[in-house]
Amino acid sequence: MPRTEEKFPGVEWIDGTGDFIRVDSEKCTGCGNCVNVCLGDCWEIVNRKARIKTLATCMECASCWYVCDAGAVLFSWPKGGTGYRSEWG
Amino acid sequence: MDESYDVVVIGAGFGGPVAAKKCADAGLKTLMLERSENVGEKVISGLTIPVYGFLFGPDFIRDGNPPFERPADGIINYIIKDIDTGDIEIDDTLRVPRPFSPVIAFGYNTYCKPFCQWEAKKALESGVKLRTSTTVTDVIRSNGSVCGICLEDGTRISAKIVIDAEGSQGLVAIKAGIRKKYPPEAISLSDTYDYEMDKSDVDRIFGYSVRFCWGWDEQKIAPPLGHGNGLMVWPYRDSIHFIQDHCLRLDGRKVPNLKKRFKEYHDNITTKLPWWSSEVTPKSKIRARMWEGFEIYVGLDPDLRNMRNHDDGIILIGDAAGLESTELCDGVPAAWFSAEIAADVAIEAIRAGNTKKEFLKKYDERIKAHSVIQWSISGENRYNLRYAQETKDIRLLKKYVHHAWGMAQLTHSLSPILTLSFRYIRKDPTIITKWIRMYFRYYQNWLHNSYDYQENREKPYDPTRRPVIGETVFRAFVGGLDFILWILGPVVKLLAIIGEKLSWLANPAMKLLVPVIRPIYKILRKPMAPIGNRLAEKIIDFVDRADPALFEAKNSKKMAATLRHTREV
Ligand SMILES: Cc1cc2nc3c(=O)[nH]c(=O)nc-3n(C[C@H](O)[C@H](O)[C@H](O)COP(=O)(O)OP(=O)(O)OC[C@H]3O[C@@H](n4cnc5c(N)ncnc54)[C@H](O)[C@@H]3O)c2cc1C
Ligand code: SF4
Ligand code: SF4
Repeated sequence: MPRTEEKFPGVEWIDGTGDFIRVDSEKCTGCGNCVNVCLGDCWEIVNRKARIKTLATCMECASCWYVCDAGAVLFSWPKGGTGYRSEWG
Repeated sequence: MDESYDVVVIGAGFGGPVAAKKCADAGLKTLMLERSENVGEKVISGLTIPVYGFLFGPDFIRDGNPPFERPADGIINYIIKDIDTGDIEIDDTLRVPRPFSPVIAFGYNTYCKPFCQWEAKKALESGVKLRTSTTVTDVIRSNGSVCGICLEDGTRISAKIVIDAEGSQGLVAIKAGIRKKYPPEAISLSDTYDYEMDKSDVDRIFGYSVRFCWGWDEQKIAPPLGHGNGLMVWPYRDSIHFIQDHCLRLDGRKVPNLKKRFKEYHDNITTKLPWWSSEVTPKSKIRARMWEGFEIYVGLDPDLRNMRNHDDGIILIGDAAGLESTELCDGVPAAWFSAEIAADVAIEAIRAGNTKKEFLKKYDERIKAHSVIQWSISGENRYNLRYAQETKDIRLLKKYVHHAWGMAQLTHSLSPILTLSFRYIRKDPTIITKWIRMYFRYYQNWLHNSYDYQENREKPYDPTRRPVIGETVFRAFVGGLDFILWILGPVVKLLAIIGEKLSWLANPAMKLLVPVIRPIYKILRKPMAPIGNRLAEKIIDFVDRADPALFEAKNSKKMAATLRHTREV
């Protein structure tokens, strides 16, 4: 069953994505760029390192990956047929 | 290998189905792979597809009945000098004037999902195989050449050629070492809202025009340092689409806190912008919110613009090849153009038995020789606009808005568009009447809310209705034109060759003419409006009541069959 989120109307998520975005803590400098650009509020900084809080509201825009100068964001696509979808894009 | 095909296409967005269909039409065994469960549901866009995409794009789109939400007749720019006092100046000089508008459109607004699905269905009818819920993770190489792709479950599929239409992130192309990841300076993040609104309200408030807003950072009304566009509103059939976007990083600066900024802007827009708070708010209800990155700065960086778009056994198209326009921020036309060029080269390569990059470089050469692609991916208006917004020079801002989104756009867009028009006429003079029929058919489809694959027409055609005089006039004019173009074909072709050679003159000519036409246009517009509107109403009434067969693309039997089918419903 697709999931919806009150904060983001008109979008559905299909679970079972797998951990498609990961962080390489060794490389992370804690700069916070990923947190700043993520409109889905998916990121947080804990002990000066970035961490994925949730992928449940990720729109797969890849902005976190683009802005990570340290190359610490490992970005791939969720499993086929899962993740966000919308009728209104 | 688990399976084998002549061509594998990665992605069924705007470009993929066009490339796949063309390959299948040429008899190639073609497979299209899409990571979403249903085609188009992961594609997020604006969206006005500019009319040149339809005029010069694939035949099946130009001659078909694709679904769209509303024709767009141009742009109204709101230059916000002071949001608190409501001091706002308007530049709406880039609009098709009445009575030509709305039938002669500047572009067509659409949601991505129905449009991509429409394209994919056409590809399936041509014999393309489609597999959804399927993510491609990498290419497979043999002796250095790409010879297939690999799926997430480890399945390996071989292909003589891979056409990569995966969109801007380009994960497969990057992994395959063909191109690199774009820097954040090349990407603008777009925060997109969709609002429901009664059709009558959209008609009354927006009509057919797209609205853009421009301002300074301090006004917090539109993200002015974004990419030279602030806030854009698209009218759809019974909804409006709203986009604010911001570059992920401006040269040498910190990555902004976009989460905070976008919220602030959105709150300000909906409360402070006079027409939003008084007209839109009471009549609209938010329906969706989503976001996606555009690659609209890619063409402005010479390194990125010249990055590789092919390798042994693989061709990149559309956003994957960095072809989103820096000029109008449109990417669909270039995705279509590049898809057709890629398919042509793939067909030639497979027939010649040579899929090496030495052969596939034809693709790059044809992309570089395409006047509209080259114009659209290298325009620098955006930098100028950004400069004007940063220096808060209102005179400069007005000048650059006019240059990018006002009548002065003709001083840089007309030559490339004319070059391509003449090239098409040179190949087939009767394309002129196909273009005319396209405009009328598209508008009638919109009026009747009627497209291919639709179960029911909203307004069925009534064969017993009283005859419309306009039909005779249209038939005589367009039929006559067809006849003349046919009889005088060689002469028209010769004129088109001359026209193509001389079309570079159009831009400098417009530089001289626009300063003269603009004031005349402004003076005459008001007194001419009632006549223009009355004539436009007459044309709309004719299009509404005319027999759809009148606007069918000639020589397209399949199309006629679809229309007849819908008419019987
Ligand atoms: C906010 C916004 C506004 C825009 N406004 C306009 C506009 O007004 N006018 C205009 O003409 N253009 C506009 N564009 C640009 C336009 O949307 C793109 O240029 C166009 O979609 C590019 O087509 P494409 O086929 O290259 O890629 P896409 O349409 O993005 O299609 C890529 C497809 O590939 C699939 N895919 C990706 N990776 C894989 C994989 N590994 N395996 C399987 N499938 C995969 C995706 O799910 C998607 O369906 C806008 C873009 C954005 C983001
Ligand atoms: S952008 Fe990269 S380096 Fe910066 S906090 Fe996020 S993961 Fe760490
Ligand atoms: S892809 Fe976009 S939405 Fe998802 S975590 Fe990254 S920035 Fe957030």
